[in-house]
Amino acid sequence: MSGHGLRRLPYHKPRSIAEALEVHGSTEGARFIAGGTDLVVRIKDGRERPSALVSLRGIDELRAITVDGGETTIGAQATLTGIASHPAVREQYPVLCEAISTIASVQIRNVATLGGNLCRASPCADGAPPLIVLGARVRVTGGAGPREIPVEELFTDPGQTRLEPGELLTSIVLAPVEQPQRGTFLKQGRVRVDLAFASIAAQLHLGADGDVCEKARIAAGAVAPTPVRLSKVEELLVGERITPELLDRAYEIARDEVRPITDVRATADHRRHISGVLCRRAVERIVGWRAAS
Amino acid sequence: MSGTLRHEIRFTLNGAEVVADVNGSEVLTDVLRGALAQAGTREGCGKGECGACTVLVDGLTENACLTRALEVEGREVTTIEGLAGPDGELAPVQKAFVEKGGIQCGFCTPGMILSAHALLRRTDTPEEAEIREALAGNLCRCTGYVQIVRSVQRAAEIQRGERGTDG
Amino acid sequence: MVETRFLGKDTPRPDAAAKATGQALYIHDLERPGMLHGKIKFSEHAHARIVNIDTSRAEKLPGVRAVITAKNTPEVRVGFLRDNLALKSGKVRHFRDEVAAVAAIDLDVAAEAVELIRVEYEPLQGVFDVREALMEGAPLVHEFNADGSARTGNLLDLTFRHASGDVEVGRCDAVYIAEGEFSTPMIQQTCMGTAGCIAEFDPSGNLSIWAKTQIPFLAQRDFNQALAAMGLEGKNARVIVPCLGGGFGTGLDTHCYEYICILLAYRTGRPVKILYDRDEEFACLSPRQGATVRISQGCDAKGRLTFRDVDVLQDNGAYTSWGATYPSVMMLPATSLYRVPHIRFDAMIVYTNNTYCQAMRGYGNPELTWALESNLDDLAAEAGIDPVEMRLINCNEPGETTPMGLRVSSCGLRECLEKTADILQWRERRGRSSSPGKRRGVGLASLMHVGGSGRIYRSDASGMILRLDDYANVYVYSGGVEMGQGLHSALSLGVAECLGVRPEQVHINQTDTSTCPWDVGTHASRGAFTALNAAHMTATKLRARIFALATEVFPEEIERNWKRFSRKNAGATRPDFDFAAAAADPEAFELADGFLFTKEGPEEPWARVELGRFLRAVHFREGKSTMLTEEAFYDPPSDLPDWEKGKGNMSATYAFGTQGVEVEVDEDTGEVKILTMVAVHDVGKVLNPQTLEGQIYGALAQGVGYALYEEVLTEQGRILNPNFTDYKIPTIQDMAFPIELAFIETDDPYGPFGAKGVGEPGLVPTAPAIANAIQDAVGVRVHDLPITPEKILRALKEKREGVD
Repeated sequence: MSGHGLRRLPYHKPRSIAEALEVHGSTEGARFIAGGTDLVVRIKDGRERPSALVSLRGIDELRAITVDGGETTIGAQATLTGIASHPAVREQYPVLCEAISTIASVQIRNVATLGGNLCRASPCADGAPPLIVLGARVRVTGGAGPREIPVEELFTDPGQTRLEPGELLTSIVLAPVEQPQRGTFLKQGRVRVDLAFASIAAQLHLGADGDVCEKARIAAGAVAPTPVRLSKVEELLVGERITPELLDRAYEIARDEVRPITDVRATADHRRHISGVLCRRAVERIVGWRAAS
Repeated sequence: MSGTLRHEIRFTLNGAEVVADVNGSEVLTDVLRGALAQAGTREGCGKGECGACTVLVDGLTENACLTRALEVEGREVTTIEGLAGPDGELAPVQKAFVEKGGIQCGFCTPGMILSAHALLRRTDTPEEAEIREALAGNLCRCTGYVQIVRSVQRAAEIQRGERGTDG
Repeated sequence: MVETRFLGKDTPRPDAAAKATGQALYIHDLERPGMLHGKIKFSEHAHARIVNIDTSRAEKLPGVRAVITAKNTPEVRVGFLRDNLALKSGKVRHFRDEVAAVAAIDLDVAAEAVELIRVEYEPLQGVFDVREALMEGAPLVHEFNADGSARTGNLLDLTFRHASGDVEVGRCDAVYIAEGEFSTPMIQQTCMGTAGCIAEFDPSGNLSIWAKTQIPFLAQRDFNQALAAMGLEGKNARVIVPCLGGGFGTGLDTHCYEYICILLAYRTGRPVKILYDRDEEFACLSPRQGATVRISQGCDAKGRLTFRDVDVLQDNGAYTSWGATYPSVMMLPATSLYRVPHIRFDAMIVYTNNTYCQAMRGYGNPELTWALESNLDDLAAEAGIDPVEMRLINCNEPGETTPMGLRVSSCGLRECLEKTADILQWRERRGRSSSPGKRRGVGLASLMHVGGSGRIYRSDASGMILRLDDYANVYVYSGGVEMGQGLHSALSLGVAECLGVRPEQVHINQTDTSTCPWDVGTHASRGAFTALNAAHMTATKLRARIFALATEVFPEEIERNWKRFSRKNAGATRPDFDFAAAAADPEAFELADGFLFTKEGPEEPWARVELGRFLRAVHFREGKSTMLTEEAFYDPPSDLPDWEKGKGNMSATYAFGTQGVEVEVDEDTGEVKILTMVAVHDVGKVLNPQTLEGQIYGALAQGVGYALYEEVLTEQGRILNPNFTDYKIPTIQDMAFPIELAFIETDDPYGPFGAKGVGEPGLVPTAPAIANAIQDAVGVRVHDLPITPEKILRALKEKREGVD
């Protein structure tokens, strides 16, 4: 692991998005770096060999979290700690805060960014399922010009996003949540502090009498090549009263809808099973909160 | 800033301004242990998984093995060497770890103490769950963590006492 | 029990402050003038012939000072069977095989040079499964033994065998029998401080090596042999031990990287440092030995054990280190935990192209106890006897000699069992039905381990030197190694207690073979046991000399004291006591808190002499100048067992204990949540509550990892999880349940102040206690550690489907 050549890797600290794009564009093999909690490890392991690093940390506008007309914009450089402690995020998007709290450790969350989590596009990225169920979009700049991509459509393959070379993810945009909605995030690892081997985010809109599901968005992480929406499970739930029998059906459908692999963390079979269990439990939990409130 | 390899940076280390030569993207652990001769920041894994290299940057904990040294320019860094008083008197959190048996082989200790210190700067009445959350990124193979939790609780008690808010 | 002044009281460690400030110096922090950095090139194949090694490009890289292979260095054989070479020649037998090494001016250059070394291999078929390795026609991992004799198979010629009575008779006598095959995986020690060393030759060809070792003197022996192989016969190795950063058994052997470091230092004429990074630590350092244990036990109608039949199968990996000798310690519980009249024990150890294993805490006992205590619960179920009752019926008693010949001088097992059951609320919780979905259960398991060292070498001794200076500082020279377990705490309290000074006056010198007396090593939970016994012997000698000198010097010093006192306190009256007469008898004196005084006589401050003052008086006497240094060599009263017969009292005394757990099993996810844990240990005497508790809590955490999470995963020899991402050890979040500890003080006659060794016992019964609790909760038994959710779900499914 030593001899990764970090000492010989030029490190740029641009002060603006334009400067960042310029430096990155004019240096072949350069990589953007945000918190670096993932990229530095990959460089040390020899899995990435960039020619230079372009740090985004010094670009203040990328760190801001703003609320405007009900819409919340999270800068790509906002740290996980900063996001999870922001009052607007905590109030409107608890499912996102729950997910962030399960990521690694305080040390990692203090520097890692949500933007970085998305761009890394790991199949088990904990930031993705909650953003998918919240219908979040990312804003991208550079390349052919600014554009927006729904997070649900952001990932193409393990470790790959729709970002073109030279593009920079600048923010994540969250629409206001029409009440009453509740969301929750459940993650299964081998130990408490771990990567997910299965995760479920669920955001439900329960009707006036409490357990008819009017709207449902459900997403899974770590059980497919990319984080995925479980639309078949959603279809099953929408318009229905949540009963144990319905949730048993949801379990079956979730099991079939995910496409996990077997790796050192868990077998595909177990991931299927746990996806189903977490789906059921996520819905039960939200219904339970609603009943209690 | 241009992409040349050698940079001189200034930052505050344990309350005093320092100047250090940084090469490229090298990480803070290497600069601290190398040019700045602060061996207390230990490398246990180099990948941000064990927390032995935990330092404070502007009051928040980071794994120095992942932090590029250039990123601390102009900022305040606290390492284990910065906790004791100028006369060498141990900080409350250090005293507590010594008193309550929170130290065995000691390798994880600087990082563990700094994570505890960061927590205690926010609150001096931490719940056990908060203590565990704050230290979840610091691995220890020796203690089983029980006496570490007791040490942090004792540190909080000392801190409350010093502030006259013991109760 | 003897009344003690310092021992038994909760006391912070003397080494804690330096660790709390970051000032403690580990091998990672040490540098020597002109030091070079070494890196090793490891094999790219699990099994292959080395066709050619091209080092030319590496040699030309600026900053490289040496590139070595087996071809340009003398052959250095490693390991107790000498079947390993520091640098591999001919063929490689595992991915971790060291084929070349570089010394360079910095780590980046060294690592780059390693990349530039080109090795040409001819891959060979490897064998990665023990049973396959035993089959006819299996690839031979070693074609020859170290003595040159040809090998015909992969079975090692090592015997660990025991037979008592006749197991067939025992089987016939049994009304109930339970049989099972249990396995434990390789796990990693994961010391937080990784392995490393610095080697440096002086101009005369003598070697100094700063090593992360637990066996400085056996290492000296090994390195001296290496020096001889290098043509430096007669030159000496000095082994210096820095602060360790954890041991857990990783320092019980000498390692290829150490010999490579020595070769590089000799080749370059400069100090060389090799430090394993975490990746190398995971992939290239020897982990804990795994084992498969087939066991059957039987009992009569009343639950008395009639026989125990044990077969052990171990994957030795590519070369031999201490993992191969785990069956020697396995024999202890196999023959002696609980009383069994008919016993058979045998072990097979087999070469494969997997990694090879070294010592780790417990050294075979956790592996065997995993099988024994799990199986015993199964037997209890067969017999319809409560598991606690079953163990009490067959409980060890003080004074017994076990079938292996172990002399149990003290035994608190009965008290440990009863107290554990009591704290756990066994009767209320055992077999209690709980709501479906999350089921609760309780379980327990016991241990028997060495408590008075473990004789595995022709000497099991521990030397001690105590030197007094002019200021009553007591300098301790001990060959024992502080690795975080609290040896220095035991030494400072123990020496203070034995001598009669205050702990602050005791200073422990760095472990260094050039200054400290011989010690076989800090393992087998023997650190405090042997060192404190040696300290007691040494202190006794010192006290005798002090008191003998006091007969000459004490009266004068008292007169001086009185003069000084009476000058400051005019009108003070002196009590009528004839000091000169009293001082004629050395038995009249006592030493306590650093003061010398007569047992009879006035209690006034002036009537005692501060030890420093006394020592200066003795030092500066004209014509009779004396300073005091004493030594002793303590060898425990034990025997080196005959491993082919499985007989011999290997320890001076034995540790016992019981651990109990309440778990909650999530039947949907298979997760096991520990609700509460209890550990009751017979420790002889509590020397320092905080260091003792620290050892037990730490061992329990390792036990939890062993039981539930930890496993070295391999595929065709390659380790799949050589990092903290995928090798999970418990974090502070995974130990978030109440743990209650209790200690039984049986006051052992051979233990210093009655104490027994405590370093390892905490890890021995944890896994079976958890498994037995899971059995109670959901009625399934997992036989193979770790008990993962997937295994639980599979077992539950099989149970539902009626499969046994």
